[in-house]
Amino acid sequence: MLDPVPGVLIIASFVVLFASAAAHKLRDLKRFDAVFGAYELLPLAGRMQVSWLVPVLEAAVAIGLLWSGSRPYAGCTGMVLLLLYAGAMALNLRRGRRDIACGCGGPDERRTIAAWMAWRNLVLALLLGIGLWPWSGRALLMTDRLTIGFGLASAIVIYLCLDRLGTLARQARLLKGLQ
Amino acid sequence: MTALTVSNIALWAVVLSLSLVVLALLRQIGVLHERIAPAGALMLNRGLTIGERAPMIDAVDLEGQELRVGAPRSDGRSTLLVFISPTCPVCKTLLPVLKSGRRDEKQWLEVILASDGDREEHRQFAADHGLGGLPYVVSAPLGIAYQVSRLPFAALLDAGGVLRARGLVNSREHLESLFEAQRLGVASLQEYFSSHG
Repeated sequence: MLDPVPGVLIIASFVVLFASAAAHKLRDLKRFDAVFGAYELLPLAGRMQVSWLVPVLEAAVAIGLLWSGSRPYAGCTGMVLLLLYAGAMALNLRRGRRDIACGCGGPDERRTIAAWMAWRNLVLALLLGIGLWPWSGRALLMTDRLTIGFGLASAIVIYLCLDRLGTLARQARLLKGLQ
Repeated sequence: MTALTVSNIALWAVVLSLSLVVLALLRQIGVLHERIAPAGALMLNRGLTIGERAPMIDAVDLEGQELRVGAPRSDGRSTLLVFISPTCPVCKTLLPVLKSGRRDEKQWLEVILASDGDREEHRQFAADHGLGGLPYVVSAPLGIAYQVSRLPFAALLDAGGVLRARGLVNSREHLESLFEAQRLGVASLQEYFSSHG
């Protein structure tokens, strides 16, 4: 049984993650459709019908994680989405297409896919799986609530730090490639 | 509120503050990376495309030597064609860079200066700036072939006469960006930074 504090913290973090991912994509669906198409995973005919489904699914996962009844289904859908993203990136990296946009930020984000992003998604899927483990029925104390609130804020900032570190590593590699 | 709750809040506030400081530092490192990245020569939309075979144009340099600019070279060296003008102030500041570049990179590079107009004016210009050792051709068709609209403009051709990089070169950094573009096999450093992961 998982203590409810890490459980709530993990689930709350993924609610923020999926909600922000969906919001970024819905802000410019046309751009996301182009990014999605560049992955070349599905035939052109079916692409238009699928690309808008991605942010809708992400939003559904974010909402579904909020209630204990829908949490297992939303969590499993979220894990599948994360694994699919990792697989799509790994597939394109294997194809040697390192210059396609990852589509992991807002519509202005032009970052290209990288191996570390696929690994990041695998770790995130594993973390979400841990959060879906049954929780003990212990009542939350004041300090628990503080831990969850501050922990969520810290988790968001640490995620942003790690994300930026990945971008910095790419920049550093490019600079190293110059004489 | 118990002492435990207060200390908990204080500790979390410290953790959150430190995390924010790390994020701010990482953003600053990103800005520094962008600032130290070399600036590439400005690519103009018009003109020959990278990877295209350069036109072979016969010209005579100021010393009367006949040259076929753009022809494949038997010595395996690349050719840096630099379009300049005696009336262009930036071109004058670039001349020492071209002279030292020719000396330092002579193993793999030949530098040819190109311009158009009055030969006598160019002869005087070459004498004033000590360009005696550099091949200097005065040929209007050459500028037309490369569609040179602004100066100083440089085009880097490989030993086979294929255009490998081109652009406006206002500094040593811009000039070296052409060499780097050829070495990396990209059209420009801008392309390298934007699309290579």
